[in-house]
Amino acid sequence: MAPALCAICKTERANIKRPKNHARVCKGCFLTLFEEEVHHTIISSKLFYPGERVAIGASGGKDSTVLASVLKTLNERYNYGLELVLLSIDEGIKGYRDDSLETVKRNAVQYDMPLKIVGYDELYGWTMDQVVETIGKKGNCTYCGVFRRQALDRGAKMLDIKHVVTGHNADDVAETILMNLLRGDMGRLARSTNIVTGDDSSDVKRSKPLKYAYEKEIVMYAHHKKLDYFSTECIYSPEAFRGSARALIKQLERIRPSAILDILRSGEDMARLVPGESASSCGCKGKSKTPAATAAEDDGGIGGCGSNGAASGNEMAAMEKQLRENEAAEGLEVDVSKLSLAGKAAESETDGAVPLKTNKNSKPVTRQTLGNCKRCGYMSSQEVCQACMLLEGLNKNRAQIQI
Amino acid sequence: MMASTSPPPTTSPAMSSTTTTATTKPCVKCRSNPGTLDSRGQLVCRLCFQKFISAKCIKQIGLLNKDVRSSSSSALSDYHSTQKNAGPPQASSRRYLLGLSLGPSSAALLELLNENVEFQVGRGRNAPFELGVVHVSGAGLEGDGKGREREKVEEVVRRLGRRYPRFEFRVVYLEEVVGLETVDWEGLGLGLGLGGFVTEQKDETEVTTTTKAERLRQLFDNLPSSTTSRTDLLRLFTRHLLIAEARKSQCHALLLGSSTTALAELTLSETAKGRGFSLPWQINDGVLGVPSFSPNSSSSLKTDETGILIYHPLRDALRKELVTFTKLSGEPTPIADLLPETDLTTTAAVVSHKDLSIEEVMVRYFADVEENYPSIVANVARTTGKLMRLFGGGGAGADGDEGVRSKTEGEDENEEEDDDDEERLCGLCSMPLDEFGDQRWKGELGEDNYRDVVVGGEGEKKTKQRICYGCERSIRG
Repeated sequence: MAPALCAICKTERANIKRPKNHARVCKGCFLTLFEEEVHHTIISSKLFYPGERVAIGASGGKDSTVLASVLKTLNERYNYGLELVLLSIDEGIKGYRDDSLETVKRNAVQYDMPLKIVGYDELYGWTMDQVVETIGKKGNCTYCGVFRRQALDRGAKMLDIKHVVTGHNADDVAETILMNLLRGDMGRLARSTNIVTGDDSSDVKRSKPLKYAYEKEIVMYAHHKKLDYFSTECIYSPEAFRGSARALIKQLERIRPSAILDILRSGEDMARLVPGESASSCGCKGKSKTPAATAAEDDGGIGGCGSNGAASGNEMAAMEKQLRENEAAEGLEVDVSKLSLAGKAAESETDGAVPLKTNKNSKPVTRQTLGNCKRCGYMSSQEVCQACMLLEGLNKNRAQIQI
Repeated sequence: MMASTSPPPTTSPAMSSTTTTATTKPCVKCRSNPGTLDSRGQLVCRLCFQKFISAKCIKQIGLLNKDVRSSSSSALSDYHSTQKNAGPPQASSRRYLLGLSLGPSSAALLELLNENVEFQVGRGRNAPFELGVVHVSGAGLEGDGKGREREKVEEVVRRLGRRYPRFEFRVVYLEEVVGLETVDWEGLGLGLGLGGFVTEQKDETEVTTTTKAERLRQLFDNLPSSTTSRTDLLRLFTRHLLIAEARKSQCHALLLGSSTTALAELTLSETAKGRGFSLPWQINDGVLGVPSFSPNSSSSLKTDETGILIYHPLRDALRKELVTFTKLSGEPTPIADLLPETDLTTTAAVVSHKDLSIEEVMVRYFADVEENYPSIVANVARTTGKLMRLFGGGGAGADGDEGVRSKTEGEDENEEEDDDDEERLCGLCSMPLDEFGDQRWKGELGEDNYRDVVVGGEGEKKTKQRICYGCERSIRG
């Protein structure tokens, strides 16, 4: 069989089958296509302005390394006029960060970008290893996620930068959409689909230029570009809902590669159907009413961590318990003996002309307002920010241990 | 947990001490019979379990009965008054159609509806409603042995008909969907020009049937080679046929047996198929617009002035509960014994993961979740139901700037008031078209370029506005 030719240039051998749509292309065309698609995302969402200083949240992993590489390429090719800076967080996980931070340091040299590393210990007085020592292996992703989201913003502030880009890819976003469907959290679902979280009025804006890029294509891009990245999963366990959603995504992708994009499309459309949520998937258009504090909380963490402050331990079990308690409290269990009068009973019990179930009686999706944490002064929708709450718990434990 | 013959759940609990399983703990509800079943973490007796399920169903049926009565002056009666021989419905003569898949959930609904009618009649009242039962079957669509397969299906349905003599049973075969005016056959570009059908339909009945089946087979053969596309279309066509039957027999509502679990599965599988926008229409009960693509009217898309009321009376029961219910309920033998043996929910060995449909993946997934976290399953359907129905696809309002309209309106207002002429429905799934979403997506993704690479982009433009994103994905990959 003669080798198939690239569907784009029709000259080179097609040695790549794109995971996204199974198109057969050559290596050169794949790299260009990938870059051009990210470019398209950047332009259509108006992510940057000329002269903007942008911090790339860099973990040393494939996503952020590809993001740094592509942004550098596009910045030069299309004269974005961006000043790009690498921003890394050191969670203090031995055997995980030590090596990946070395990778980031090499990237800084390779891409000729300044690098800032912020450590959990200097920000919070705790490394992740110490956190795990105290609270165990379960539920620590909550801590890591909450700390990291603030850390990126705080790091950006130190550098006087107002825009952080992260390496979240299409798989991550799809995962978050399914996860929030499973959790029944429509508010978060709506916000998680935005390419930009936070708007001009907030301190630090977040965006995900790789939002439409398939994880597999990112790996492929990194491979063919021979990028220097560090590949390891976080050694601590992923949160249950997210883990569950991730497994589903992988299965769906096998069956129908477009499923990941289709989930994104669904998620964006559904975001418009959530009562009281911002209309557009792009933070620059609709003035978001959920600014940076929630934005920072809602983003999934880099590398797929970040359980958004769910209960520690087995989140699914915890939620199941919670829901059952709610059911019991609301008295949803109707006295069946009364109901054996069939339709009659239901008819007389409900009032109103059209008993279609609507959102009239249901609780509205909670909307959060931005304030500042009274402990650390950091923006927060609560009186005390999540990080400070978690720290309080940790510090109590530490005090006891020392006694 | 099996008891041979005991009274239906509506009779006195004192009579039901026939349960044979030796258990020391009493039922937490009646505190007299031994608890033999686990119901959402509680040990209950068979009778209390049946009552529990029955109450969940009756609650919804009560809402429906009231809904039909109260809407007798609105859209639905308009529809019926335009039909010949049909006056406005009397509250006492409600007619419903039950879509019977022959799976445990719809069979449970059948039993529960019968129970409800028997109970009312037993008390000297009128039957609260008349019921038609339709099973849509894809049996014998392919290959030989067509007659035998269909005979089997018809035998099962006949058996059920004997069990429930009050109700009318019918079997409709899948190929009957071909030529239905609720599908935009021409616009779909599936090699199924409607003109061809009209001439062929004038032939003898036998010939027409063969032709329709052949056409449908052809259509399936032309789909992108994924089980998901096929399953997706099967589901849509079944729905079209049920709606057509409901309208033909002048029913006030179409009842579907979807359990909580099924609705959760639907939420996730429709999301995964790019149909998120239509979820509020699919998950909730209420009136759905029904399009008409009659070959005679030149206008490509015209929404029928009325619609169809669709209800899911078992939305509060889990699938596993309904499976149990069918094994426990029914006289003289449990209903489960009357159903065909194939059961999607059993985790049969997977030959190849690629051969699964997205629906099947979700069924497997939720079978797992349902086991340990039933409230999470229930929560999925409940919260998805809170999404608003948006008419984002109106012809005039699709320029992008207006984007999101009627954001603060509840869905109920929309249903009654929205100008149906403006609303454009998908030529395949009948869900509202989301032109704003389509345009934005195209802008964000440069979708055209991407499609050019995959399928060559031929003939895309023509059908773009006629079918929704999800249907396009299913038909064209």
